[in-house]
Amino acid sequence: MTTTAHTIDPALYAAATAALRQEARTVLENGTAAAVIGWQAGRRAGSALPAIVTDPAGAEQLIFAPGCVNNLALYLTKAKKEVRGKGRLAIVVKGCDLRALAGLIGENQLNRADIYIIGIACPGVYGAHADRRLPLAEETVAPKCRECTVHTPTGVDVTVGTLPDLPAFTPREAAELARLEAMTPAERWRFWKEHFSRCIRCYACRQVCPFCYCEQCLCDRNRPQAVETTPRPAGNMAWHIVRAMHLAGRCAGCAECERVCPMDIPLNLLNRKMAKELKALYGFEAGLEPQEKGPLTSYREDDDQSFIK
Amino acid sequence: MHAEKQQHAFEPKIVAFVCTWCTYAGADLAGTSRLQYPANIRVVKFPCTGRIDPVFILRAFQKGADGVLVSGCHPGDCHYMAGNFHARRRFAAFRQLLDFIGVDLNRLQFSWVSAAEGGKWVDVATELTERVRELGPLREFAALEAEEHWSGALATPELQEAYNSI
Repeated sequence: MTTTAHTIDPALYAAATAALRQEARTVLENGTAAAVIGWQAGRRAGSALPAIVTDPAGAEQLIFAPGCVNNLALYLTKAKKEVRGKGRLAIVVKGCDLRALAGLIGENQLNRADIYIIGIACPGVYGAHADRRLPLAEETVAPKCRECTVHTPTGVDVTVGTLPDLPAFTPREAAELARLEAMTPAERWRFWKEHFSRCIRCYACRQVCPFCYCEQCLCDRNRPQAVETTPRPAGNMAWHIVRAMHLAGRCAGCAECERVCPMDIPLNLLNRKMAKELKALYGFEAGLEPQEKGPLTSYREDDDQSFIK
Repeated sequence: MHAEKQQHAFEPKIVAFVCTWCTYAGADLAGTSRLQYPANIRVVKFPCTGRIDPVFILRAFQKGADGVLVSGCHPGDCHYMAGNFHARRRFAAFRQLLDFIGVDLNRLQFSWVSAAEGGKWVDVATELTERVRELGPLREFAALEAEEHWSGALATPELQEAYNSI
């Protein structure tokens, strides 16, 4: 086993961190942005947490490391009203987070001119259960990073860090998706039923999703109640179906929902499946460019209707 | 009495979500034309197919429907210009999602029935009813609904032991 071929050199993160701090200090000093949204080191080794820096001196606390898993695009949505209104904001994004940002711009939740995007050339981040004392490698990398196509963000104001020769990780989500698709409907029902039955309805998946910015969620309403709110299998199934449906054609695939799930429900599989289907049906892909209309907010007169009698 | 009740043949419950401008009028025409169709269909009227949220379909299944019919105006005939075009995309996606979760799509039928197509309404309604009758009752959602009501799940030996050791 050649460990060097399958790990990512930690020195790369140190270099990216230095470049990031330099960039953050510059934008804060010259007034390009009133605040920088980035990550700072968490209390536990290898962890990171979101940080909002408004002072050039504070730029020193910003980091980029394999522990920088959070999708910071969340902080620019309506769900985090307190962050907006500080003035023009700079935000640090990985490629996957940039897709969420592009989606938010497309949905008129953000104005591109109001944000300064610092892109990070990202070799990958830790998975939810990774031992964070280890370097990023086959065992520790997040599932989404195994099949990442957006290591280098494009269309950003500035890119920091350089990308090494990346080791080829074994894809997991694609294999799992293929496995599920090959099952019979009854087997799939059992698979999802088992997963959904464990859901405790903490709504962490909703709170962390940059696209769940509705001020009142359909699933919180009780007059009339659309989705049962108790953590019971019936209501859980409904909640996850509604969630997947609402994100169809919008989800950017940052997999934050899956990462924060305390019950380890493979939520991103649903999102990936919907993205795949919408691509097959309407050739739409949630991309890096803001798009005004998603697949479910537009139509063509000659759309497939073979399923309609 | 109970045994006798069980001998009854299965009668499917079918919920039809229809648009008021075309299919509802079509079903009405079927009625005024004295056309016969199964009494298993419960019609729910909506202003447009574009108003029919996938949640409604889900809820119908959860609350005991064995089949769901969604019907509206033919493409181009929508009273609101494009409601059915949007609905068509939404339902195409929703079907894929339901299939991925493991729901039998034979229980879910979409159709276009215009105000003049009383006969087509009868055909669609009859066909779906017969198909669902063949498939039998929808057990998956009913089982889910019945599962883990708190009163039942609290009586496990593990929990009892935990309570005793407090």
